[in-house]
Amino acid sequence: MSVTRRTILGAASLVLARAGAGSAAGRDIVFTSWGGTTQDAQKKAWVDPFQKNSGQRVKLDGPTDYGKLKAMVESGNVSWDVVDVEGDFAVAAAKQGLLEPIDFSVVNRANLDPRFTSDHFLGSFYYSFVLGFNKAAFGGKEPKSWTDLFDTRAFPGKRTFYKWSAPGALEIALLGDGVAPDKLYPLDLPRAFKKLDTIKPEIVWWSGGAQSQQLLASGEAPLGQFWNGRVYAVQKEQSGIGLSWQQNLTAADVLVVPKGTKNKEEAMKFLAWATSAKPQADMATATNYAPINTEAAKLMAAGAAATLPDQHTESQVNLDMAYWAANREEIGKRWYEWQAK
Amino acid sequence: MTTMTLTREAAVRAPRRMAGFWPTSPALMLLTVFFVAPVLGLLLRSVLEPQPGLQNYVEVFGSTTYLRVFVNTFVVATIVTVVTLMLAFPVAWFLAVAPRRWASLLFAVILLSMWTNLLTRTYAWMVLLQRTGIINKTLMGWGLIASPLPLINNLTGVTVGMTYIMLPFMVLPLQSTIRSLDPATFRAASLCGANRLQVFTRVFLPLAVPGIGAGVLMVFVMSLGYFVTPALLGGTSNMMLAELIAQLVQSLLNWGLAGAAALILLVVSLGIYAVQFRFFGFKAAGEVE
Repeated sequence: MSVTRRTILGAASLVLARAGAGSAAGRDIVFTSWGGTTQDAQKKAWVDPFQKNSGQRVKLDGPTDYGKLKAMVESGNVSWDVVDVEGDFAVAAAKQGLLEPIDFSVVNRANLDPRFTSDHFLGSFYYSFVLGFNKAAFGGKEPKSWTDLFDTRAFPGKRTFYKWSAPGALEIALLGDGVAPDKLYPLDLPRAFKKLDTIKPEIVWWSGGAQSQQLLASGEAPLGQFWNGRVYAVQKEQSGIGLSWQQNLTAADVLVVPKGTKNKEEAMKFLAWATSAKPQADMATATNYAPINTEAAKLMAAGAAATLPDQHTESQVNLDMAYWAANREEIGKRWYEWQAK
Repeated sequence: MTTMTLTREAAVRAPRRMAGFWPTSPALMLLTVFFVAPVLGLLLRSVLEPQPGLQNYVEVFGSTTYLRVFVNTFVVATIVTVVTLMLAFPVAWFLAVAPRRWASLLFAVILLSMWTNLLTRTYAWMVLLQRTGIINKTLMGWGLIASPLPLINNLTGVTVGMTYIMLPFMVLPLQSTIRSLDPATFRAASLCGANRLQVFTRVFLPLAVPGIGAGVLMVFVMSLGYFVTPALLGGTSNMMLAELIAQLVQSLLNWGLAGAAALILLVVSLGIYAVQFRFFGFKAAGEVE
């Protein structure tokens, strides 16, 4: 996830396109993520110190592109060694045999949040989808719940949602329609789409984090579904921006190693470092996304730790990545069909 | 006059064509290896994945969603082409007849816009067109409208953004054709009694057809496959084909279906090129003097 998403991949991927890394010995490994502020933070928190400590050089590439990843694995010419991907994709990709298994003799599994750890991926950081809003639009009233997001009478104006078929919006629709969090899965798709239909003319889609911030800050879409870190970044710049943690929806980006990489050993060492406590703490401090290492919070300044999604667990809902991975294709088809109507 | 031009062209062309072939081979090889081969690979997947057969084509033609995307793609490309032609014609004419200094200044402006990053230009339109953008705020400030006009995330936004991007591709072939016309022809027409309108419609326009043809073809075909601008300025209900293909490749990893959609787009583009070639000859089908 993060700043540039698939819409603009065409242009952005030219920037760092590189092929066939590492046929020589003592080679570099390539870490691919989504670009923008998130990858900048990953560079500072993970890559720079890792290079310094290990002497292993790490090159950065981006943005992540699932099509490219699949093409690399199929052609046997894998130039990405570690890739930051969305959780539901990782589960599906593992099933399709696109990923190397994680070597837990190198990576210490003990302190990793089990929600985001599996045999084929490790958590990168975790985030929450939250209700964000621009206070100026509602004259003192503040939306609190997902139900408010669908109440166009009390909160008029455009609302913005994540454009791509991914865990989040459908769950929000169901929660907004009164479904109990423990009854969310399997998703009642007709009901979710029906609920979304009630506000469809008012929806503006955001396809990348930067766009979501711009919509919120300008008041173009004064409320909507946002990644928590993105709302925080706007709050730092501008007053009058609020967010509600009620029923915040957690999901994680995870780190994977594409099948067939020639640098598996080095990649595992990098994974071990990136998921360890201190780098996870530094990453969380920089981004306001939560660490997936349970020891990391202790290493953070108290103020910084208090703003993370892992401090808002009382009504937190975990998006079900396994459900999504199993139904990803079918939901995707119906999502885009519904959007195009 | 016609026969003279023909023989002269034939005489000059024939040997030049053969002599000109060999220096193009590096470029052709590059295209074959890095373009034709991978494209064929993707197209092959359309009949091989998930199993051999035509199921992907059945799915594309059987789904109202995909059909709607196809129709929308052609509607958008047509609108953009027509609007671009209307805007580009006066500019091309001015470029062709204006004093050199003015023409080169205008030329620089057009080229500069082409050299500016596509994303930057598209984002600039987002800032201008959105509900809280400059245009809507100004109009509301003057009291001309009560609520913001919907200028973005719909057909209007796509048309504005794409027309702007496509303008140079229409202006350049048009102006090169117009400049090559002999002003004496129009004087002769006037002398023979044609009024201004007749000179324009019966002499100028027919002579400009090769330039119009080249510009229209270029803009229409480019618009058919356009991606970034519709994705950012359009809404989901007027999605274009390239966006659908990108979704299938990158998000849904359904390369078979993506290959089918890509093949259809390719066939249509080549078909349009063939029709143009048939009716206007090589010159109109892309050759710019």
